[in-house]
Amino acid sequence: MSETKECAIVGGGLAGLVGYATLRHRGLTPAEIDVFGTDADPAGQWRARAAAIRQRRMRSESDGHCAARSFPGLAVRASLRDKSPLPLVESWLDRYHPTVEEFLEHVQDVRAESGWDESLRRNRVGRIRAADGGFELDGFGRFRHVLVATGHPGLAFPPEVEGDPRAVHAYQPHEYAERVEIVGAGMAAATEWLNALAAGSDVVSVRRREPERRPLNLPRQLFTRRGLAAYHDKGPDERRAVLSRWSTPSYPAGRTWDEPVERARRVGRFRVAAELNGADQLICATGFRRGYTHDPLLAALVAEHGLATAGNWIILEPDSTVGSLTDGERTLAISGVAGQWAFPAADTLMGAKYAARGFLRKVVACRSR
Amino acid sequence: MSFTLRGRIESRLAAALAPLLAACGLAVVLTEWWPLALAATMIGVGLAFDVVLDRRLDYQPGWLALPVAATELAAIMAIVYALGISAPLLVALAFFAGSWALAQILTHALFPYVRLSYGEDGGELGRVGLAVAVLVLASLALFGGVALAMQPPTVRLSAGIHEGPLVLDQAQNLVGEPGAVVRGGIVVTADNVTIRNVTVVGGENGIEVDNAHNVTLDRVRISGAKLDGIHVRRSSVSIRNCLVHSPAGDYAQGIDISFGFDLAPSLVEDCTVIGGREGIVTHFAQARVTDNRVSGTSLRALTLTEMSMAVVEGNDVRDSLGVGIFCGDYSECEIDDNSVDGIRPDDASGDKTRMGFAILAHYGAKAVIGDNHVSNSPGGTDAVLGAEISTEK
Repeated sequence: MSETKECAIVGGGLAGLVGYATLRHRGLTPAEIDVFGTDADPAGQWRARAAAIRQRRMRSESDGHCAARSFPGLAVRASLRDKSPLPLVESWLDRYHPTVEEFLEHVQDVRAESGWDESLRRNRVGRIRAADGGFELDGFGRFRHVLVATGHPGLAFPPEVEGDPRAVHAYQPHEYAERVEIVGAGMAAATEWLNALAAGSDVVSVRRREPERRPLNLPRQLFTRRGLAAYHDKGPDERRAVLSRWSTPSYPAGRTWDEPVERARRVGRFRVAAELNGADQLICATGFRRGYTHDPLLAALVAEHGLATAGNWIILEPDSTVGSLTDGERTLAISGVAGQWAFPAADTLMGAKYAARGFLRKVVACRSR
Repeated sequence: MSFTLRGRIESRLAAALAPLLAACGLAVVLTEWWPLALAATMIGVGLAFDVVLDRRLDYQPGWLALPVAATELAAIMAIVYALGISAPLLVALAFFAGSWALAQILTHALFPYVRLSYGEDGGELGRVGLAVAVLVLASLALFGGVALAMQPPTVRLSAGIHEGPLVLDQAQNLVGEPGAVVRGGIVVTADNVTIRNVTVVGGENGIEVDNAHNVTLDRVRISGAKLDGIHVRRSSVSIRNCLVHSPAGDYAQGIDISFGFDLAPSLVEDCTVIGGREGIVTHFAQARVTDNRVSGTSLRALTLTEMSMAVVEGNDVRDSLGVGIFCGDYSECEIDDNSVDGIRPDDASGDKTRMGFAILAHYGAKAVIGDNHVSNSPGGTDAVLGAEISTEK
């Protein structure tokens, strides 16, 4: 019988890095953790997407970082580095948004400090199967505790543009044609409006609803126990309704977003339409596919183990673990967007931390037995 | 941050632990209860705010800490005043500011640093938080119980006229109801006596304090005494918010604190003294005389003499004869921020040292002065007979 190893993290992106940093913070050694991912850089995919939409600043505020501890956050680090209180004051006013460069530097710091590269196995796990006292990972061994952090299951395109050569996703590398139609009403769409206008394009915003304006995609209390307690008390139907409601696209209010669009609108370079109507270029700022069924690993996990689901979501315990596959000896937890049943903002760094901490508690409890 | 109610309370009490210990230490050093009373008030007000804010705020941005702190401070000071907690204002403000700053550092830095899920848990600190909360509340209950047990009894003086002189020879709080009047004076001969909200009419002295320590006279009103309105000998007193009006005799004085140089300093604060030969006088005593209003005296308005050591600050002296503020006979005086107006020359006396001096240092005294406002006083500021006046640097 093969040796059962301690921990595996399936997914080598930011959610995986957050999980890894959290486990390392609690004293697990790199030898006790295997990370399975295809990209050596945990920010690789995120970096490419941010570059594609020319993102310059982070939407989230001080807690949007990968370190295990909340403090010091990026604002404190920036203040110390720049010897300026300004980032702290901005953070105090909920107005601090670090640059993408700062964030990516921070990711590399966490990667280096945590020993990430020592634990990374450049492999894709295609299947997770429950076994005695742990989980078999697709021929890579048996692990007592597994954190699934596979991220978004691919880019979403509107059905009507599939196969259209003019169409490109906002998160794919692209330039801007003279006349572009941008589909969507969220943060990526708003970013693309400004990008295209700055590139000299005429822009048609194709959307079927008016965008919602919120500082973060979800109300802040849903990031903490205060809001989560009420959320966890809801039944499956209510919870699905909450998740559907809060998955509507949004972007922050503010002149930074409004003024360029308003200026362009006045001179006829920006308008809104409900349908596509034949521009030179279609930019689909329509986010990601939704639901575990689009992730082959999760779909197989659900099918093989008969996991409970509700709509697009796998039903999880409040601490992000899969109840039917977690006991006193083993843990299966889900981080990233697929963990929304436990934490509505699971696709954020805060969400990754939430799942990682829940996972860590189980690992520690198991080790202390 | 989105606090839970438990998180608010645990964070509040954990952050209050160090200030509470500091208050205990201060109470021991000063042998006074007010540091603990102040700390307990701060904690109580803070917890009340926590309950109120919890119902109104799903999310509390960092900047909101400032207006909340200002409102808390106002509530604390109102309670301190209403309960008569005898905390010096500046010390109380500094204590609050230090406690608040410490709480900010703890909740924004230290707690999130040591507890991974501090923010996510809405400020809850787990078992440690619960233990600290119980410790703080138990300490408050313990100290509060001890303080209450050691408090002197409170005697209520009903409305109406009570024939004096009343002799207070045991520790007690004598609290007058509205309309309570003692005719014929009060004599205090015991330590730890507080007299509050009492009007005294007539008597040899209005209130006489003799060989007593830690005596507080708060909001007393005195009129028609034959000698002194308040007469203090070999005692340490705190006199606040008093009114001494028109002593009746030729040698009557408003407030006389004498012969207690070796005792704890006395305080006269926010009193109004009208008439008499001298308004407030100290002989061989240590005293702070601050923010009082003295007028209509016939000899000197404020006198610090016979090797007294005194701080005279923020007083309003006006319409008096001879001398406004007098620092005499080898006393040492700090005289700052006073307003002196309308000190008339006492021509009839023929005494050259009584010719309308606003501030006079006399016979070997040393006065340090600064930022006093002098008007309509022909003698101005002067030093005579080997006395010195220097200006504050």
